[in-house]
Amino acid sequence: MERKHFLKSLLMGAASAPALLSACHKDDVSPTSSSGTGTTTTPTGGSSSTNCTVAPTETEGPFPTKVPSSYVRSDITDGRSGYKLTAKITITSSSASCAALAGALVDIWHCDAEGNYSEYGGSGMQSTNYTGVHFLRGRQTTDAAGLVTFTSIFPGWYSGRATHIHVHVYNASGTSLKVTQIAFPEGTGSAVATVNGYAKGLSGYTYNKSDNVFSDDSAGIEIATVTGSTTAGFVLTMNIAV
Amino acid sequence: MSRLITLAYRKLIDANSGRPWEKLVFADSYREFRMQAQLYNQQGQYRTFGELLHHVPGADKLHFLVGGSIGGYVQQLGGLVPDIVNNVGRYFLKFTRYQFELINSDLHDPSRHQVAINFYAEPLIWHDTIAPYLLVSEAAAPAEASGEVLTHLVQLQPYLTIHALRPAEAAS
Repeated sequence: MERKHFLKSLLMGAASAPALLSACHKDDVSPTSSSGTGTTTTPTGGSSSTNCTVAPTETEGPFPTKVPSSYVRSDITDGRSGYKLTAKITITSSSASCAALAGALVDIWHCDAEGNYSEYGGSGMQSTNYTGVHFLRGRQTTDAAGLVTFTSIFPGWYSGRATHIHVHVYNASGTSLKVTQIAFPEGTGSAVATVNGYAKGLSGYTYNKSDNVFSDDSAGIEIATVTGSTTAGFVLTMNIAV
Repeated sequence: MSRLITLAYRKLIDANSGRPWEKLVFADSYREFRMQAQLYNQQGQYRTFGELLHHVPGADKLHFLVGGSIGGYVQQLGGLVPDIVNNVGRYFLKFTRYQFELINSDLHDPSRHQVAINFYAEPLIWHDTIAPYLLVSEAAAPAEASGEVLTHLVQLQPYLTIHALRPAEAAS
């Protein structure tokens, strides 16, 4: 190894570790070869070749298989409590006379009944036996009619914002087409009034006209249609042109 | 004197990682990074994860957001920390907690994408140190009828650390 490459590998100790591991992975015959000590060793780690431990010597498998991102699901509830909400979002193409856009990826995310988003908590760790760490976040692909459907809960609210759902639309190859938010209708009989902010109530709530995202939407094109009740669940319908 | 320890292994994965599992984590986390980063880069003026962290408030959430793409692969490990074997060459280190971490990435150059998965092992009792090896047993393991405790010899090595320790008095 040339000196400059060696120095570079020290600097990038992290990056070189797997390379060294794989370089030492020519062990097709080594478990049966006689090295004199009877022990198969392999250097592990970045810049040190003096640190040797026993290589894995187990039957291979189970073999890894490709799995979709954990966002890819229709039901994003993950055990969060709240009134059921079915969100039906139709994506259309503004450059094609608002024809349905099939095959688009649609991410949505919103806060829970208390107004909290899923994020790493205190320790920053997540547990393998609790998959709900990415709760209330999901991804679906639009069908031939441009439609995606999510099952979730009616969002709560937090200080400074009206009730909303975030939406990020990508084309099939993952290129961003639109980042937007869905607003909710307000007033007597509306779902926002009926849910009444869950346990928090609506004292101090920010309505759409005062919301820093929705206040300029005088035509109401960002406001979804929401029907239903707390017992039957709510259905949100929204068209988004990208 | 025995103590209760938590081992942590920081597994690095980059473009040089050659095993199938690593390649899947690499490819899917890069794709997810390219998708999610666009939320913090709507004018497209930034290219690397480092630039996003430096310039865009909230871009540190990308660790969490991109981590959502690889949970299925962590489950495929069957609860055993990869790469780390005991001195008879078996995987033995159980874990339930982990944390995904973006180290570097580049929206236009996958060869600069580098991530880590930090595995936090279940607590072990550290009984003794024999030459370069720690003599450990699973803290949660029930005692054998004979009164024996089943043990492992494991060597500390790069990227494997004692993440937390509890003195025996407090552990009992």
